[in-house]
Amino acid sequence: MISTQALALAREWAPQLLVAAGQTLRMTVFAYVLGAVAGLLIAFGGMSRRRGLPTLCRVYIEFIRGTPTLTQLFLIYFGLASVDIVIPGFEAAVIALGMHYAAYMAEIYRSGISAVDRGQHEAAQGIGMTRVQTMRYIILPQSVRVVLPPMANSAISLLKDTSVASLIAAPELMMRANDITSEYYMPMQVYLITGAMYFVMAYPLSLGARRLERLTGKSRRIGTDLA
Amino acid sequence: MNGGAITGGDWARAYEHVPYFLSVLWSGAVMTVIVTAGGFVVSIMLGILFAAFRTGRSRVLRGAAHVYVEVFRSVPVLTQLFVIYFGLGAIGIRLSPIPAAIVGFGINGGAYLTEVFRAGIEAVDRGQTEAALSIGMTKLMALRYIVLPQATRIVLPPIANFAIGLLKDTSLASAVAAPELSFNAHMLVDETYLSTQIYLLVAVFYLAMSLPLSTIVRWLERRAARGQRT
Repeated sequence: MISTQALALAREWAPQLLVAAGQTLRMTVFAYVLGAVAGLLIAFGGMSRRRGLPTLCRVYIEFIRGTPTLTQLFLIYFGLASVDIVIPGFEAAVIALGMHYAAYMAEIYRSGISAVDRGQHEAAQGIGMTRVQTMRYIILPQSVRVVLPPMANSAISLLKDTSVASLIAAPELMMRANDITSEYYMPMQVYLITGAMYFVMAYPLSLGARRLERLTGKSRRIGTDLA
Repeated sequence: MNGGAITGGDWARAYEHVPYFLSVLWSGAVMTVIVTAGGFVVSIMLGILFAAFRTGRSRVLRGAAHVYVEVFRSVPVLTQLFVIYFGLGAIGIRLSPIPAAIVGFGINGGAYLTEVFRAGIEAVDRGQTEAALSIGMTKLMALRYIVLPQATRIVLPPIANFAIGLLKDTSLASAVAAPELSFNAHMLVDETYLSTQIYLLVAVFYLAMSLPLSTIVRWLERRAARGQRT
């Protein structure tokens, strides 16, 4: 398996994978920001008093969580193309993954907000704050501790899920790996190196997420000790 | 294909073919259930095995289980599938798509369930194991009759959640040509170019399978929460 010739070939394709890993990171960041912002809007929509809006948000969340990312990606990429809305692979993947994670992040925000004691709402409104002010100054700052660890875990899942974008030929690590495989026909070596690259990107993130979990868990305990 | 959807022509064409679509997607859905069930069983077995290693006394086995969990949770399942299907195929170990998918999802899922089972085992008070050992049970008996039954209540909700995730992830098996729901859908799209209509139908199929599961999860979670309070 490891001959000098294979090594020489690996020296040709390995740098290409490195470049593609950069594209994977870029896709992850864009989709994450889209998901975090859209997720917040959906979470607020779910708590809105406007009739129909909470139901709409609920239906969206259930649809997204009940169907595979792949199906959603194909609907956006191939489905929209059939009505002459052509979105390039990279952008389609960012939109599909971002809107997919928005549903999960909306649930994370919701649990974070509902973790804040109701008395905090009542007190804020009692001193004359508006609903928006209450959210902005009282509720959101306190829910950050609850929200941060699952948000960090979402980043890790998202990083891995970008690999699905290879199935619509969006430029990222997994697609590059497929291309290189068909060019050099060394699937075992190429996919193992690709896996190693994902590991190198994801593992530090998950160590960070775990540290965050410990940190916020501890601070919560101290909080109750003081109270 | 182009412009047809705006005039409604594509929808009319899709409507005519609905019985055909349903029969093709149905046979794909059956395969999706088979891959999900197969992957689930392998995941459970690996999860229990490696959780036993992870909580056991042997340092080597603990280390091996740790590496297994970290590596397989940090790499996309699609990459793992390709290593198993294309990678192993190139060095002479050729698996058909369905077994390859079951093995791939099973090994990947085992890493997640190892952590779930470990959490469940650790949640059971140590005194329970000590009491079991002191009345003469072997470590294996203590695990089988004392710890696992108590841990079950804790691990059931995350396991059911895992099953839902797995059901949706099996759509990736289409990339190694396993003839499940998503793969059959691609075939239909190649045949008819009715991508929007077919993928929406596929979404309905997945929803019909996953929504009942998530209702069960919610019920299990409520029950587990009740158990904790008492």
